[in-house]
Amino acid sequence: MLLGIDVGGTHTDVVVIAPSGVVGAAKVNTDPENLLASVRQALEEVRSVLGGQVPTRFALSTTLCTNALVQGTTEAVGMVLFGGPGIDPSLHAPTPHCTVVPGVVDHRGSVLEEFEAESLEQVVEQFAAQGLSAFACVGKFSPRNPEFEQQAAHHLASLGGWVTQGHHLSGELNFPRRINTAYFNSAVWTTFNGFADAVAAILDEYGFNCPVNLLKADAGTLPLQQARRVPVETIFSGPAASVMGISALCQVQDEAVLLDIGGTTTDVALFAGGVPVIERHGISLEGRPTLVKGLKTRSVGIGGDSAIEVHNGSITVGPQRFGPCLAQGGTRATLVDALNVTGRIAYGDTAASFRGLETVAYHLDCSPARAAESVVEAACAGIRDAVQDLLAEVNQRPVYTVHEVLWGKGLHPQHLLLMGGPAAALAPCLEKALDMQASVPEHAAVANAIGAALARPTVCIELFADTQQRVMRIPALGVERSIGAGYDLEAAKQDALAALQETLEDSTLESGAAEILESSSMNMVRGMSMVGRDIRVRCQVRPGIASGYETTVRSVC
Amino acid sequence: MLKVANSLGVVFFPAFDWAISPTHPERQERLLYTMDQLQEEGVFDIPGIAEYKPDIASLEDVERVHFAFPRTEDVLTDSHLISAGGAIRAGQMVLDKERDKSFALVRPPGHHAMKSVHGGRGFCNVNMEAIMIERLRRQYGVNRVAVVDTDCHHGDGTQDIYWHDPETLFISLHQDGRTIFPGSGFPGEIGGPKAAGRNLNVPLPPGTSDAGFLLLMDELVLPVLRDFQPELIVHSAGQDNHFSDPITSMNLSAQGYARLSQKLQADIAVLEGGYAIEGALPYVNTGIILSMAGLDFSHVREPALRPESVAQDAKITEYLKQLAPAVRDLYFHPPEKLIDREKEGDFFVRDKEIFYDTDGLMEQQREFVLDCPHCPGLYKVQTSSTKTPFCLGIELGRQCCDSCARRAEEEFARAQKSLRYAVIQYIDRIQDFSQRVVGDAMDKEM
Repeated sequence: MLLGIDVGGTHTDVVVIAPSGVVGAAKVNTDPENLLASVRQALEEVRSVLGGQVPTRFALSTTLCTNALVQGTTEAVGMVLFGGPGIDPSLHAPTPHCTVVPGVVDHRGSVLEEFEAESLEQVVEQFAAQGLSAFACVGKFSPRNPEFEQQAAHHLASLGGWVTQGHHLSGELNFPRRINTAYFNSAVWTTFNGFADAVAAILDEYGFNCPVNLLKADAGTLPLQQARRVPVETIFSGPAASVMGISALCQVQDEAVLLDIGGTTTDVALFAGGVPVIERHGISLEGRPTLVKGLKTRSVGIGGDSAIEVHNGSITVGPQRFGPCLAQGGTRATLVDALNVTGRIAYGDTAASFRGLETVAYHLDCSPARAAESVVEAACAGIRDAVQDLLAEVNQRPVYTVHEVLWGKGLHPQHLLLMGGPAAALAPCLEKALDMQASVPEHAAVANAIGAALARPTVCIELFADTQQRVMRIPALGVERSIGAGYDLEAAKQDALAALQETLEDSTLESGAAEILESSSMNMVRGMSMVGRDIRVRCQVRPGIASGYETTVRSVC
Repeated sequence: MLKVANSLGVVFFPAFDWAISPTHPERQERLLYTMDQLQEEGVFDIPGIAEYKPDIASLEDVERVHFAFPRTEDVLTDSHLISAGGAIRAGQMVLDKERDKSFALVRPPGHHAMKSVHGGRGFCNVNMEAIMIERLRRQYGVNRVAVVDTDCHHGDGTQDIYWHDPETLFISLHQDGRTIFPGSGFPGEIGGPKAAGRNLNVPLPPGTSDAGFLLLMDELVLPVLRDFQPELIVHSAGQDNHFSDPITSMNLSAQGYARLSQKLQADIAVLEGGYAIEGALPYVNTGIILSMAGLDFSHVREPALRPESVAQDAKITEYLKQLAPAVRDLYFHPPEKLIDREKEGDFFVRDKEIFYDTDGLMEQQREFVLDCPHCPGLYKVQTSSTKTPFCLGIELGRQCCDSCARRAEEEFARAQKSLRYAVIQYIDRIQDFSQRVVGDAMDKEM
């Protein structure tokens, strides 16, 4: 049996899933001051369902780190940066406790200028004096040669706190994003590890000696032991949980658009080839781009409680929200009131909705019924624009080969999946606006906990080999190996896939197959002769539903 | 935080699957390290700088500019259409006011491609800047355009295409043609009889460095641009004048390039040559991008830079100080003796022999421009190459008068009747179409 808990902003949802289907589900209120209490309460709710059995796996999605960021309760981080030619690195500093130490590594990983050991020692002393206990060190081109970061980490470790090294986070090149990611990782490290300790203690108490996995923003999971080192990966896992839940419920096979229509906003996510579409480089945290893989989403300020405005005969719905709809005792007519008037729903005090729409109708000089239809159409048009924007952005992704320009087919989904309160009522109108077929899956209410319980582990790694320098590296896994001059793309692909498999062996849930995302081997020519090959492989295990459970929670979609 | 002064769009298309040949300078690897640097710098995450995907130029876009024989599709590859499409995209985003400035960081290059094309020369088949400019003229009604070419090689293709166009100012700063391909680009080449002074060439002695280029910007390029008042400034941003370039002998640095770009304030930059793929391109391109966006570029510096890398001989400085005002005068007062007014009937004529080093072809051509009192005049070119027999191109230019239009139709009809030509391409820029008539002999071959 799989146990999944999603600690959301308002509710904490729990599900227990057996091979036969969902056998237990509950919703409790989240206590933002004490998330552990919420986890404990959720466990209590399903204790009887488990009947003394130990779940085979426990998966948790939590807003803990997200909240720490939002509430500004993160820890101060002492950062060491190694720059090099280019943009002034001090412009990227995410914190005042950030020092740039001279030293240069280039794109090939060659050390062109040794770092100043003295400066580094001074920084360490300074951090000690400031009483800091969380650190990060990031070098330009460190995925190509992590030597400077390793040395800095060694020095910083003497201060006794946690040190995040940039190259451990990703093999992707992007110095500012690596800086930001390392910063956030160290900033939430203590918070997360305190929580992880407490969760482990609770599970001990229950006798649940099963593997524990944390949900990540990219809709995959990661074992708790690993999450302790990269807590930044658990930020914004909430939307990923719902998306994976819907993916399980609807068995999305191909391309689809998912709309989560809430009170204030509608969140758009996309599926391609049956898996959620992920941000190419990473999500932004507090307005700072990072290397944290997360869902490609778009939020539009149109929801059930969005206020209706009429201006010069044209209607807008949202982004303003002044409270609940009239039908629920609010003061302003909202989308839900319009839906009440069209007869698509009969929610709360429908008479109040009719009165509200009369005012709207007066401004539009038409009947209330006509006005309500127009409001619904305007809302659907706004959502349509957001979907089309997001699709355009995905399809505008730059490509670097003639082949991809000529053959890149882009994403053209025909299927619309809807969740959230007003979903069913808006389905016909959205179908028309987007010219897609809509489904409103059942059991969507606990989709997030289902998603957490069923999500498979994901990993994405980059391999870089330079046969002239005779070195192969997989930065995120700390792999560095010497290679022969004959090392080629095939060998690199095999090495990358094998390394991926190895990291997944720890995880207990059977994972999906590793796949190559990008690979290239380019001859390096100097003068008129080939001196070596520059080989790059990016591979991943993509998000998916735990094997054996693919059809377990099937809903009517 | 970084804050741009100008919003900038970069069309980055490194064509990682296209090369002229495996060890050719114009090979897959050329922009690999530039990509690494741009990605590592995170330039596309800077608010105000965005990366764009290239469009694919159509054959119509190419045929608005070039006479290509025997057929347009015979002289280019998909990669050329994407590179040209990248330049067009860069131009459109500026004219649509989507971006203040743009940079088409695309390959293959194009500035050696002339009006008539039989194949590849100087790594170029079709002219990216010209294809872009003519598309922008058609689509947005742009008229006056200045092209400043700082590639180390003379932009002889762009010069040839705009030789007779008084509305296009072309300025090329390049290593002296006596020391490097293509061997042209001397101050005496000032443009055709209807466009004298609209074509300026500055041959630079080997060893010219940052100081020399910046001096020429101040003393020549900027004063001429101020007078010409272009609606659009296009920078043909070749980077082979770098001190580390393997096939040239100049001493420009990334700092020098960024400062040059800052002075020029081009609306659109298009990459041309540049083959120091590790030591120069990553830094020069970063410098250009930061400079165009109005960001601080003072930390952009090649690891191999030494003071002697950019040293400039005092003699060169002295020479350039004299050359700059002399070339400037050619713009303001084009001397009659430099204007070639040789005529055949009522046409100005010019004979050319063109070597296509990349494809190993020789082209013989005779160019005709009608000496029309009302307009720049109908254009014709008779051409043959070692590969293709005698062909004819007729162009009714975008500013041609009605009488030239009638004359063009007559010439086209007469040429078809004459049965002299293997292929005749007719470009009508007023109605914006290109038509091709293939003779019997050629038809069988194709």
